[in-house]
Amino acid sequence: MELLGLVNYALFMAIFIGIYALLALGLNIQWGFAGLFNAGIAGFFAVGAYTSAILSSPAVEGRIGGFELHFVIGWVGAMLAAALVAWPIGKICLRFRSDYLAIASIGIAEIIRLVIKSEPALTNAARGISRIPRPAGDLGYMESQIAYLIIVLAVLIAAYVLVERQFNAPWGRMMRAIRDNENAANAMGKDVEFRRLEAFIFGSALMGLSGALFAHFNRSITPEAIDPMVATFLVWIMLILGGSGNNRGAILGAAVVWIIWSVSEIATDRLPHEYAVQAKYIRLFLIGLMLQLVLRFRPEGLLPEPLRGDQRSTKSGADH
Amino acid sequence: MKTKLFALAAGLMTATALASAPAQADVKIGLLGGVSGPIAAMAPAMIDAAQLAVQQVNEQGGIGAGENLVGVVGDSACNPQGGTDAATKAVNIEGVVGVVGPHCSGAVLAAAGSVTIPAGITLITPSGTSPEISNLEDKGTVFRTVPSDDYQGRALARTMKDQGYGKVAVAYLNNDYGTGLANAFKAEYVDELGGEITQFAAHEEGKASYRSNLAELAKGGAETLVIFDYGDGTGLTILRQALENGFFEKFVGGDGMKSDAVINELGAENLSGFVASSPVGAKSESLTLFNDAFKGVGGDPDAIFANTSYDAAFLLALAVEKAGGKKEGVAAAMTEVSNGDGEPIRPGEWKKAKELIAAGTAIDYKGAAGEHNFDAKGDVPGTYALFEVGSDGFEVITEMK
Repeated sequence: MELLGLVNYALFMAIFIGIYALLALGLNIQWGFAGLFNAGIAGFFAVGAYTSAILSSPAVEGRIGGFELHFVIGWVGAMLAAALVAWPIGKICLRFRSDYLAIASIGIAEIIRLVIKSEPALTNAARGISRIPRPAGDLGYMESQIAYLIIVLAVLIAAYVLVERQFNAPWGRMMRAIRDNENAANAMGKDVEFRRLEAFIFGSALMGLSGALFAHFNRSITPEAIDPMVATFLVWIMLILGGSGNNRGAILGAAVVWIIWSVSEIATDRLPHEYAVQAKYIRLFLIGLMLQLVLRFRPEGLLPEPLRGDQRSTKSGADH
Repeated sequence: MKTKLFALAAGLMTATALASAPAQADVKIGLLGGVSGPIAAMAPAMIDAAQLAVQQVNEQGGIGAGENLVGVVGDSACNPQGGTDAATKAVNIEGVVGVVGPHCSGAVLAAAGSVTIPAGITLITPSGTSPEISNLEDKGTVFRTVPSDDYQGRALARTMKDQGYGKVAVAYLNNDYGTGLANAFKAEYVDELGGEITQFAAHEEGKASYRSNLAELAKGGAETLVIFDYGDGTGLTILRQALENGFFEKFVGGDGMKSDAVINELGAENLSGFVASSPVGAKSESLTLFNDAFKGVGGDPDAIFANTSYDAAFLLALAVEKAGGKKEGVAAAMTEVSNGDGEPIRPGEWKKAKELIAAGTAIDYKGAAGEHNFDAKGDVPGTYALFEVGSDGFEVITEMK
C-alpha cells in the first residue's frame, strides 16, 4: 500500500462523506427541526440526480434532455426539481403524523423509483444515464478527486452555514416549538401546516442537491443507486447516530458511518482467504450492531441537540 | 462514547494499515462482485470461478518470475455506492493491476467512471450487460466477457424473422436485463425488419399470478409470446400460466429462459412450442475443460455467469502476464491476447500460454463462454444459437446471426 493510494482512498471517502452529509443535513431539517419522519429520502435524491443528469449530459436519441448545460445549472435545477416534487407531496402527506407520514413517504419514494425505472424517454429506464460530465474531470486521477472534494466541501460548508443560521434564528426556535408541542405553537399563532411544508421542501432540496453531486461524481446514475437501503436507511442511521437536531452531528454521523462501512471491509479482508466472501456480510452486521449500541447507550446521538436551559426531561420522544 | 467510537475507527484503520503491508512478490487483481444485495445468491459462484482461474495460474508458474497472483475480493453490493467504494479500495489500498467486475451494470458504470478509468486500471466485467457500458469514454480500459443485451436482442429478432414468426407479443422483466433485451429486440424486429409486435409490456418480478398480464398480452391476436425473463424465476411462472390457460401457442425466450428448471417443472412434452436463444460457448471443448475444472473445486459449472467470470479472470491474468505485471500495459495487452490471431489457449492452459508469451508468440484465448475477440469498444460479439426442447434437454435448431 502506497501513501498515494491511501491519500486517494481518503479523498474518495471524504467526497462520499460530503455527499452523504448533505443528505443527512437535509434530513436533519425535516426530522431534527420539524419532526417530520421522511422515509423517502431516496426519492428526492433520485429526482435531484436525474434532473442534473438530464440537464448536463450530452444528447441521446429517444430521450429528453441532453442540454449539455453547465453543471452549476444542473445542480440548481436539481434543487429546484426536488423542491417542486416535494411541494405537492408535502401538501398532501404532511397532514399525516409520524409513522403515517413515514409510510406515505416510503410509498412515494417507491413510486418515484419505479417511474425512473420504467420511463425510457425520461430517464433511460433501467439502464440509467451515463456520460454525465464531472467538474474538473479531465485532470489526473488524484487531481480531479481533489478538485471535486473542494467543490463538495464548498457546497457542504455553504449548506451547513445556512442551515445552522436558520437553526439559531427565530425560525429554528419556532420549528422546534412546533415539533415539541404543536398545539402550543398553534395557540401562539404559528401557521403549523405552512411551516412544516417549508421544512419539508428545504430538506428535500438539499437531498436533491446531494443526488446531483453523486451523479456527477460517478459520471452516471442508474436506478440501483436509489435503492432505499443505501439512499434512505443509511442516511437515517447517520443522522440518528450523529445526533438528530444537531447539524454538526449530522455531518459527524455521516463520516462515522461511512468510515466504518468502508474501512471495515479492509479489516474483514484480513480474515483467511476461504472466508473472503462470508467476511463481506460482517460489515452489514457491524452497522446494525452499531445502531443498536448507540440507541441503547446514547439515544440522543454522538452530538446531541443543543438545548438552552433544562429541557432535557421533555425531550425523550415527546411527539415523535 | 464518542472517543470510544473514534478509537474503534482509528483502531480499524491501524489494523488495516498494519495488516496490509504487502508480501512483495504478489500481483493482485480485484474481484469485485455483488456479494451483498440483490444478486447475493449468484455472486459467490462467480467469484469462485474467478478464483479458480487465479488458482490455476499459481499452480502453473504464476505471473512473471513465479510471482503469486492474488484475487482480492471486494463487495460491490450491486449498486454504484458499493461499486465505487470497492473499486477505490482495490485500486488504491490493494494496488491491483486490473479488476474483474463489478457484476451489475450500474456498479460497472460508476466504478469505471469515477475510479478505474481515471486511475488507468483495466476493468473487465463478466456480467454487466448494459449497452451503456459500450459507450463509456474509457480510453480502451473497459472490457467485458458477456455480450451486450443489445446484441442478443437483435440477433434473436433476425433469427425469428428467418424462422417465419409473424405477429408476436413481448413480455419482459422490468430490470436492466429484461428491458435491454426487449428494447433491442423491438428496435430490430419492428424498425429494421418490419415485423409486428402486438403488445409490449413490462412486468414486475415475484408475483403469484400473471394471468391478467397474459390476458392483456394476448389481446392483439399474436400466436407467439416472447419472454425476456429468468426461467428459474418469474419467467417460469409466466410460461406455466400461459400454457395452462392456452393464451399463446408458441414461446420464445432469451438466454435467461434457457434454464433446466423450465423442463423439470413443466415437462419436455409440454414444451414443443418453446425455443430459447443462448450463447453457444455452450458445447465447445473450452467449456468442457472449464466445467471439469470447476467441478473439481466443488463449483457448479451451470451457475449463471460462472464461465464468463472465469474467462474474465483468466484473460486479465494473460494480459497482466503479457504486460509484465505492470498495470500500464494491461489494457493494450488485453486485446492482444484475444483477437482471433495466434496460438489458441484454452481454459487452464496457463503454462503453455506463459511459455508462448515469453517466446513472443501471439496467443488467442478461446474461453469457456466464447472466443472473446474484443472489438474496439471492448465488447465481445457473442455467438448465439436458438435451442428447442428435445428428448435430451435443449438442442440447437440454428445458429443466430
